[in-house]
Amino acid sequence: MDFAFTADERAFAEDVRRFLRAHPLESFPLEGMDAGYGSGAHSRAFMRALGAQGWLSMGWPAMYGGQERPLFFKLVLLEELALAGAPFGPLAGCWQTADAIIAYGSERLRREVLPAVARGDGTFWQGYSEPGAGSDLLGLKTQARRDGDDYVIRGHKIWSSHAGIATYGLVFARTSQEARRSRGFSMFVVPNGTPGMDIRPIRSLTGEVYHYETFLDDVRVPADMRLGPEGEGFIALLNGLDSDRFWGRFYKAPALERTLRQLVEYANTTRVRGVPLARDPSVRRRLADAAVDLAALRALFYRAACLMRDEATITYETAVAKVMADETGQKIAQLGMDLLGPWGPLREGSRGAKLGGQISHGYLTSLGHTIAGGTAEVLRTTIAVRGLGLPAEPKADARNRG
Amino acid sequence: MDFRPSAPQQLLASTAREFLRRHAPPERVQEWTLDAHGLPDTLWRRMAELGWPGLLVAPEHGGSGGSLLDVVLLVEEMGYACLPGPFIASAVVATSLLAEAGSADQQKRMLPELATGERIATLALVEESGSSDPADVALACSVPGRLTGRKLFVKDAHVAEHLIVAVREGDGLSLLVLPTDRRGISRLPLEAISGEKLSEVVFDGVEVAAGDRLGAAGVGAAALAPALAAGTLARTAEMVGGAQRILDLVVEHARTRVQGGRPIGGYQAIQHACADLVRDVDTARGLLYLAAWKAAEGQPAESDIAIAKAHAGEACPAVARRGHQIFGAISYCEEHPLHLFHKRIQAAALDFGDAQHHLETVARSIGLV
Repeated sequence: MDFAFTADERAFAEDVRRFLRAHPLESFPLEGMDAGYGSGAHSRAFMRALGAQGWLSMGWPAMYGGQERPLFFKLVLLEELALAGAPFGPLAGCWQTADAIIAYGSERLRREVLPAVARGDGTFWQGYSEPGAGSDLLGLKTQARRDGDDYVIRGHKIWSSHAGIATYGLVFARTSQEARRSRGFSMFVVPNGTPGMDIRPIRSLTGEVYHYETFLDDVRVPADMRLGPEGEGFIALLNGLDSDRFWGRFYKAPALERTLRQLVEYANTTRVRGVPLARDPSVRRRLADAAVDLAALRALFYRAACLMRDEATITYETAVAKVMADETGQKIAQLGMDLLGPWGPLREGSRGAKLGGQISHGYLTSLGHTIAGGTAEVLRTTIAVRGLGLPAEPKADARNRG
Repeated sequence: MDFRPSAPQQLLASTAREFLRRHAPPERVQEWTLDAHGLPDTLWRRMAELGWPGLLVAPEHGGSGGSLLDVVLLVEEMGYACLPGPFIASAVVATSLLAEAGSADQQKRMLPELATGERIATLALVEESGSSDPADVALACSVPGRLTGRKLFVKDAHVAEHLIVAVREGDGLSLLVLPTDRRGISRLPLEAISGEKLSEVVFDGVEVAAGDRLGAAGVGAAALAPALAAGTLARTAEMVGGAQRILDLVVEHARTRVQGGRPIGGYQAIQHACADLVRDVDTARGLLYLAAWKAAEGQPAESDIAIAKAHAGEACPAVARRGHQIFGAISYCEEHPLHLFHKRIQAAALDFGDAQHHLETVARSIGLV
């Protein structure tokens, strides 16, 4: 056992901190909202600044312009960025998509898309969910029909984060009607702006735009923009969702730690009847409890990270980490609201807002986290079935067939 | 970073798992729980043959010079078996104290006997306040002199040859090593639901000489800190092992118990409860290993140990309670093993400071004024 970071990892963390000191976060314009996951807002300029450091492609093989840095360097980068509250919203999605392209993408995808990702110019939205297919993705209706050297995609995608400001969509579509349920799906990389694609914003309960829905009206995509073999998209997607749970949540612990530090500072400096709020036993206990939860959360994520690094089998380890990340986030969001009292609900920019009005924002965004990327319920089932070997519930259509 | 125990540590744990599976099945544990003596001496001697009581003793005193991390892995297996007995009290806490504070002569005299398990020692710390914080020790004694008063919740005193007694001396805390058969010492059993052997120890004008000191006068608090840390980690490990066993029992039950035409583990209500047990056990173990690793590496580990104990102290009893709910009526029976693990976890959760106590340490560590 060894729970320390290596000297190289610590030196890299110092590099990242130096970069953050040299590039004040206020200097980066933001285009998309901070959805509270820990990766901050969407800033193209910040992504380009990371690209200029070589950090977007640092884990890739040298033949694709990478530095072949180990997985833990990516974790160090995410930790430091999240702890600083940096706007690196699209980063994890870029890494995941690039890894998939390197693993089984066409030459065209490698040639065209990877360099754009490395510069910070290429970002992605996930076109998975549909109005009729949420937790049950096998029910999706979007179709991609082969037509010569192209596919023609028709369908309706929804809940795609930052889709309107990204550069490519990852569109998951049915390519065969005949094949078994889980076969017959394929993934496509579709550039934004392709004729027939209509991306519309969905205003979220914070009043900002994070999600989009996309209408695909006979969108024509060259066949070599398909990601992976035809019909095997679902397996790729499942693997993607496994790592999505990890990469889409890893930075939540450091981000929540940042929030916790703010709340500790607030409790120390806010006096109630002349006594610091920090002396209130229930406040003390809840803040300490939150620190314990965060330590536990980190343990889950780093264990999963070690398994990923060692290429060991992952059955439930990322799922349990995601569930705990999201529920801990909601708990800390409520704690923040309670500590701030009547100031809690004030929004950013309001007269009198405390802690920048971020607490109410974090509270609202946290509501979506136990839904997005696999609901807490679906993931608990995953933990039980894949992790513990409990029997799966009969599928509804199997029951109907009787 | 690496979460895996080393090869020798894995061997230690797997040997313990197999040994305890054979020699300490739940039926036997239940008998020992109801028996006034507890763990049979024969089994204690077999454990000693495996070198377990000597794990924390340096090789020059006949031990194997293991680390706290080794101890934690071994005690986790003891928790998995719900093994009763004086291991933590004697081989972890008292042994740590002697190694920390004992004079060369005391170490030479006592550590080899503790390492072989021939002698058992235990710490007498807690008093009427119920606190295991050395600052709360009130029992006063001047040395040489006479000791009158009492200690509570002394573990395994009924089989111990030595008591290590924390006393207030002037402004400081001192430690005394007293043989349990010294005139004026009586051990009165307390009856705990867990079947753990606890005593009230009464000192009635017990004669104390300068040679009875463990360490110098007034340095008891500093000497106690590492031993209490070791005890805290060991009880946390016991909880983690017990909670893992409950999870394993529950999953086996959920797979095989059929209601409504299918195993109850196929119902989401049960699946989701099991998923929460996984979360609780995995996080408790992760925090335990991290804290034990830090302590074993000689790094400051006070807040990590507090985090591990506070978390396990809430998560593991929750696992036990939910285990009962999933098992249903059968787990309400004495012959069903679940209550053994549950009671042990409860006892461990409250020992060496409850969650509230450790959360206060955490509160200070995150900078709350």
